[in-house]
Amino acid sequence: MIPYSMWSGGLLLTAFALNVQAQPWEFGEPIEITPTSGEGIFHHLESAGRRNIAVSGLTVAVAWEDNRDGTPRIYLAHKDPNAKGFSAEVKISGNGEAYEPTLVALEHNRFVLAWEEDGRIHVRLVTSTGLGPVVILEDNMAMQASLATHDQQLLLVYSRQEGRYGRIWLQRLAVDDLTLRPGQRCPVDAETVKEDQLYPTAVSLGKGVIVAWEDRRAGHTIIMAAQTTDAEPCRFTAPQRISERPPGPSMPYGKGHGVARVALASYGTNRALAAWADKRDFREGYDIYAAEYQAGKQGLFGPNGKVQDTFGGFAQQWHTTVAGHPSGKLVVAWDDNRDGNADIMLSWRGADGWSDDLAVPGATGGGEQNHPAIQLDKEGNLHIAWLERATIGGPTRLRYMFGKAVQ
Amino acid sequence: MLRAVSLLVITLITLPVMAEAPEGYPFQSFDKAMQQARTDNKPLFVYFGRYGCGYCDKTNKEAFSDNSIKETYTRHYVLAYVDSESGKRLRLPSGERITEREVGTRYNAFVTPVFTFMMPDGQPLLRLVGVQRIEDLREADMKVQQTLTKASKK
Repeated sequence: MIPYSMWSGGLLLTAFALNVQAQPWEFGEPIEITPTSGEGIFHHLESAGRRNIAVSGLTVAVAWEDNRDGTPRIYLAHKDPNAKGFSAEVKISGNGEAYEPTLVALEHNRFVLAWEEDGRIHVRLVTSTGLGPVVILEDNMAMQASLATHDQQLLLVYSRQEGRYGRIWLQRLAVDDLTLRPGQRCPVDAETVKEDQLYPTAVSLGKGVIVAWEDRRAGHTIIMAAQTTDAEPCRFTAPQRISERPPGPSMPYGKGHGVARVALASYGTNRALAAWADKRDFREGYDIYAAEYQAGKQGLFGPNGKVQDTFGGFAQQWHTTVAGHPSGKLVVAWDDNRDGNADIMLSWRGADGWSDDLAVPGATGGGEQNHPAIQLDKEGNLHIAWLERATIGGPTRLRYMFGKAVQ
Repeated sequence: MLRAVSLLVITLITLPVMAEAPEGYPFQSFDKAMQQARTDNKPLFVYFGRYGCGYCDKTNKEAFSDNSIKETYTRHYVLAYVDSESGKRLRLPSGERITEREVGTRYNAFVTPVFTFMMPDGQPLLRLVGVQRIEDLREADMKVQQTLTKASKK
């Protein structure tokens, strides 16, 4: 008879081996995007929808903000497929204070960045041969930009301060050689805004576009979405709530639970996933929740489901990001502190639902590893960038890792 | 009259969004409060709340409404309010630019409300999680004051 300890140990090993085999990516060694630059220099890898990494062909690019010259500015670095490391960074923004760059890839090693500078959204094309001119959009008091591509167009969503409240706008842009030409622009919610609409992100889906954002109209923060079609590109459906109200009686105090920072990705054929941080179980802090786009149904998005595994319930989750692939591959990443400090975690969608959480090798351990941004390339390889610091409040650096698709 | 109405409208438009801070208290943004705490050499009392937070509302109504709490906390501490879901940008004395949400992440405000007593450099002294009663706030103040008195005698 096999002793229980041996049996259970063997079972554990088997389970571990199965889990390792089941991983869709084989990770390489992490490399530096930009090093620490000393005390008082801080990098920020943040944007609405967490779109700070993009892949064009086999070239990966990462956009961030740091204050190396005393002012927050936007920088971009890229890595060619055969290069061992990232290129020297290029300053993208102008002379003003610049924040929250968002990045999207076009064909032929071209990238487009948008960011906030002096209260306006700036947009710029970057190619392997140089930088295009900066296009400054008309709206002032605009922030929280997020870029996406749709057919041959660029989509830019942002929140613009109108009176006391932020309102979500969609700006379409055409790409003409090195020049970006602003096109049609419209509010996503046609109604006059009565509470804040913040942190939007958009995704192209067949002949339409979905925009999701944080909304405070319910008296607490909820995630909402609206859809438009190419036939009527500036006419959105009425906004619908994505983040569900949990079952049970209403609390005598307050308006409802908290949610934050929605991310969107398309995958498969005409499918999309929204994921965000959600505090409906208030004892656990924020958890990662997601909802599936429902093509052709009355509700834009379906029931909410928890992405993280059971062990994640003992920790807090932050900085949700999601990436999808036309093959159907879908992955969500975030950071959490289940091992005592912030590590990068991810979970991918399998036949039976979300996988067990994977602490990303090379993006865990001492210090803090957080603020992940992820992207899947055409081959389904996973590209991850994140922020790392040895001590809380200490100087930062940016790291990158390549996960080669194995399935 | 028209001028007064106009002033009121302008004031309402330019008011900072302090969604859940209790009324009548001089709560400031976290970075300004840190600066003032350093200047005045006073500890900080940081209220981590969020928009629509039920237990914040309850604590505001049942504990912060007490005048003795208001008097004690206003006298003993520099008061800061952090909306743990806000993207409002702050600049810490270290030069680090950080959002209110990230301040909440750093101080593990995974539920709301969380109340953290801090030294002027941001070092936590005591943390209260969830709904607080008047007696909880009194007891916490006593503990913090005793700790500070002991430290000053060393």
